[in-house]
Amino acid sequence: MVEIPYIFKPRKDTGLCNSKIAIWLFLASEVMLFGGLFSSYIFLRVFSDYPWPERTLPVLPGLINTVILIISSVTVVFAWAALKLRKWSQFQFYMAITLICAAFFMGLKALEYKAKFNHQAARLSDFTVVEGHLGYAKIDKEGRVSKVYHYGDHAEKGHGADHGDDSQGDSHGSDYKEFKHNKIFFKTSEIEVDVTSASGKYVDELIEQAHAAGSKIYLEEEVGAKRSYKDESPLQVGAQGEELSKALIKRAKSVFVSARTANGKLRRDNLSEQWAEAKAEHPDLRGWQIQKEYGVDVDLEAIKDRLVPMKKSLVFKVEPATTFYFKPSWITEGESLSKLKDNTILQGELQDSPMVISIDGLDFQHLVMKAEERQQDPETIIEKSWVLKDENTRQLWEVHKMMVVKLEEKLLEEYGAYKKDDEHGRYQKGDPKRVPTEKDHYRIDWQQIVAYGKALKEGKDISAMTYDEMKELRPGPVAGFTGPNHKTMNEYFPELSIPRNEVRFDSTFTPKWNTYYALYFTITGLHGLHVIGGGIVLGYYMFFGRKMYESNPDWLANRVEVGGLFWHFVDLVWIFLFPILYLM
Amino acid sequence: MSEHHDDHHQQSFLSKYVFSTDHKTIGIQYGITALLFLAFGFYLMMVMRWSIAYPHEPLPDWMSWVFTDGWKARWLQDGKVTGETYNMFGAMHGTIMVFLGIVPLGFGAFGNYVTPLQIGAVDMAFPKLNMMSYWIYAVGGLVMCASFFFESGAAKSGWTNYSPLAAIADSQYVNQWLTGQTLWLIGLVFLISSSLLGSVNFITTIINLRAKGMTWMRLPFFVWAMLVTGFLLLLAFPPLEVAGIMQLVDRLTGSSFFLPSGLYTKTDGILEVSGSGSPLLFQHLFWFLGHPEVYVLLLPAIACVAEIIPPNTRKPLWGYRSMVYAVLVLGFLSFIVWAHHMYLTGMGPVVSTFFQTTTVLISIPSVILLTSLIISLWGGSIRFTMPMIWACAFLPMFGIGGLTGLPLAFNIADMHLHDTYYVIGHFHYVVAPGILFGLFAGIYYWYPKITGRYMSNFLGHLHFWPSLICMNLIFFPMLMQGMAGFHRRWYNGGDAYLDKSGEGVNVFGATVFEHIDLNILMSWGAWIMALAQIPFIINFFGARLFGKKVESDNPWEATTLEWATPTPPGHGNFIEEPSVYRGPYEYSRPDHDQDFYPQWAEPKKKDSPDA
Repeated sequence: MVEIPYIFKPRKDTGLCNSKIAIWLFLASEVMLFGGLFSSYIFLRVFSDYPWPERTLPVLPGLINTVILIISSVTVVFAWAALKLRKWSQFQFYMAITLICAAFFMGLKALEYKAKFNHQAARLSDFTVVEGHLGYAKIDKEGRVSKVYHYGDHAEKGHGADHGDDSQGDSHGSDYKEFKHNKIFFKTSEIEVDVTSASGKYVDELIEQAHAAGSKIYLEEEVGAKRSYKDESPLQVGAQGEELSKALIKRAKSVFVSARTANGKLRRDNLSEQWAEAKAEHPDLRGWQIQKEYGVDVDLEAIKDRLVPMKKSLVFKVEPATTFYFKPSWITEGESLSKLKDNTILQGELQDSPMVISIDGLDFQHLVMKAEERQQDPETIIEKSWVLKDENTRQLWEVHKMMVVKLEEKLLEEYGAYKKDDEHGRYQKGDPKRVPTEKDHYRIDWQQIVAYGKALKEGKDISAMTYDEMKELRPGPVAGFTGPNHKTMNEYFPELSIPRNEVRFDSTFTPKWNTYYALYFTITGLHGLHVIGGGIVLGYYMFFGRKMYESNPDWLANRVEVGGLFWHFVDLVWIFLFPILYLM
Repeated sequence: MSEHHDDHHQQSFLSKYVFSTDHKTIGIQYGITALLFLAFGFYLMMVMRWSIAYPHEPLPDWMSWVFTDGWKARWLQDGKVTGETYNMFGAMHGTIMVFLGIVPLGFGAFGNYVTPLQIGAVDMAFPKLNMMSYWIYAVGGLVMCASFFFESGAAKSGWTNYSPLAAIADSQYVNQWLTGQTLWLIGLVFLISSSLLGSVNFITTIINLRAKGMTWMRLPFFVWAMLVTGFLLLLAFPPLEVAGIMQLVDRLTGSSFFLPSGLYTKTDGILEVSGSGSPLLFQHLFWFLGHPEVYVLLLPAIACVAEIIPPNTRKPLWGYRSMVYAVLVLGFLSFIVWAHHMYLTGMGPVVSTFFQTTTVLISIPSVILLTSLIISLWGGSIRFTMPMIWACAFLPMFGIGGLTGLPLAFNIADMHLHDTYYVIGHFHYVVAPGILFGLFAGIYYWYPKITGRYMSNFLGHLHFWPSLICMNLIFFPMLMQGMAGFHRRWYNGGDAYLDKSGEGVNVFGATVFEHIDLNILMSWGAWIMALAQIPFIINFFGARLFGKKVESDNPWEATTLEWATPTPPGHGNFIEEPSVYRGPYEYSRPDHDQDFYPQWAEPKKKDSPDA
């Protein structure tokens, strides 16, 4: 094999070895990558048409991660220096610290992600935003939906409270699954499946739910179809009474596709013949002229005997009529007809499908923004909002309004400049440099909800409390490390049952919820991938570098140096990410 | 760690031809793969041209035999190309030609094969990275093309994949991972990773592996062009990667990076998304790549031509230095012209004016390059060899492409021409008879070095002349149709605008009526051009076995270092380490006996002015 020069010895005139040039080029490209992402952040934030969630993430985990990454950047330099000094075990020691830091960083990141995946939000029809954790429910054979437990109770029963989406509820002694109480319930007795688009996942779900309810989804009549005119009699696609299964759908699809292919060929050949005739008749005309004057088309009369009917959908009976439940994103619901995303049509009756949520955040900022766009008084619109019809939230809101007034007074006290009152010749406080922000006014976050709840529970005279006294009651950053803890604080979070027609848009705190979270997950996700990639490379040098260390320590040092440069870049990206995502 | 082994002896077939780390093998792999993709992209276009010329007639058997009956029943309506299928073919034609065809041919194949030879290097700086770059490209291309066979078909939202159109395309499918648009995006991420590895490798090689005496101003123009191309790929592609990732996130998680609030579609009503995203952001990110990409396509071709003209005129490249500076300026300016693709997005007059100005500025270095090449012909004793004929055709064809771009640079004129066939005509003049001719010239030029045999002149002429005529038959009428207002995305060639109730009522119908027959002319031009490629295919594979053998290692009597290697160059390229004594284009020097003075030839006298 040929020897590539300047692998670790620098070339004289450029003063660089190959990998050093390459890593700087690579980093330049990375700058453009993250530059694109940061530009997108600015673009989307500046032009957003909803209140941008400012300082919305718990700062503590982000801060710890920042420190961790900086430490790892230092130790990676120590590791490189150790190699230069030919101290192998010292190199391994510092590299190990670097990698432990990386693992810790990713672990903390995972905790943060998990908290968000379990945290639900909904934008109501009047643009009130509620946040919280969904309740759990189950359904019985008659289609009655019952609440299973609260997050709080559930934790006492010794189950992990942080569920994935739908957890199996066997331990509760029934066949029924428990599910997050955010489903569309639809009672149906007839299901029409589109065999071309039917999804195995959806079919399985229908079968499973029907099984749990003890009902049957079956073909009322035998279904037969020909694959082409060559079939003398129709093939049996499904027998009378055959139950819905993936195999049945697959069979029906294959017959449908055969029929489509056969018919397509007939029509195609016929149209070709028609055109050949038309062109022979009008040799002086162009195709589009012939079409315009004489309208060439398939001669259906000529081939109708050979065209076979195509069975695109299968109609199943559900007996007894059963209430199925679906994630809102799976279904486009209607009063008597609903359509699943895979084109399955359900005939029947839409049931009450509320979203049951124990709320740890109440946000009127979006509502206020919309009201101001319409030049309406925000306070009036808030008072009329659906969410304040509930007694508990109303109480929270009343307390909050009091506290905003107190905050205003406090700011006037602390930041108010003195101004002369002409009438009495005395100085008074006025024109404070700081006033409560929109967020202070219109958003109650979970820390405040807990504080207000505690104050109410302890029967304190809230009107007599100062702002700081109320602030004392907040759980603080350590108790809610990655966000509200529904295991320990559930008593303070009021439960709401929101009718479906009040829910405009709902999502967990995933990229779907808004562009802020979309950016958060995309940028930190890509950054995380860089951490993992860098960790793998550095880890490789630590675990498998010994051989190279013995044969050519300079080469290994060079590689670690290049890896370290990348590591510093990854650190630098985080140093930009932390303020723009956590602090601004 | 195979670098430490001495494996001049037996190499297995796999490591020699498939997973090779030799830049020459990788270059050939790139070249053949890219040519196959070009053929596929050409085929898609032939089907589209049928739909444009004969929208009511079933696709004839000589084109549709490729498909199974099942596929035809799914995607053709009674054998006619539907709008959906046309869009799918159109989107994939653009993607394949740009990302899978021309860039890999120009940068991947020629760049890989020629650059290390011309700078006197043993290989690329990172041979394994080079191999990875090829395979990632191949996988990305296959992922994109595999989507033709999925239920949803391939991507259908144009090669630009504008959101929100592309973000919600195929949204009716439950499994979004297996839809054409998603696979397109995944393929794109692969391609970008591949070109990132490639560009890092190229730039490092050029900076650090130049032979002794190969100073910057002794680099052949080809190498300069590759250096600039490398930087364009390195810096312009990442923002597109960002756009691709963000669109992928939009599609897979339901986010709204590019989806505005209150987006309404006919099938779904108001979409259930959070909104507040920006379609304009996608266009900015896309065109930030999109425009430099044009120069990524162009520079390798113009570089091939610049290498071919001096040995075939027996005189130096005219204005070598100004060409080098022009290409550097061109590279820089290409980063700040992108929004001239977006005049009609409502960016505002100030932004438009800025980009109009930079766009007009960028024509200066382009004109310097082209003019220098043309002046290089002046007074030369031109040898009309096969590569030279292609190179000569490149000059006027690319000239037409460039000049037709000027009206598009001005936003007032662009308002009329935007999204018409004029735009299609303009950039196809640049890319097809321009860039492709330049690359064909390159194939004919370096073929003797790669295989040790010449390509046939007879077949070459049979390839060249019909191609030249057909190219103009296809693209010149486009300019005319475009000025008449023909929209670039009509799948039926404007047929729908022919008013059935008489011409008087429908003014636009009258315009369409006047120009619609050009569709038939252009389509036949395209199909005949397909025939004209047959001699090339025969030549390309046949000359390897039956072509005339080269009589020396330097058959064109050229001066650059690739001709100092044995034919074909072995592993490690040079028999002994080359030294460079002079600039790259020393032809017809009065003080030298021969009419060419190779870079590697040692000067005879000690005090020679060459040293």
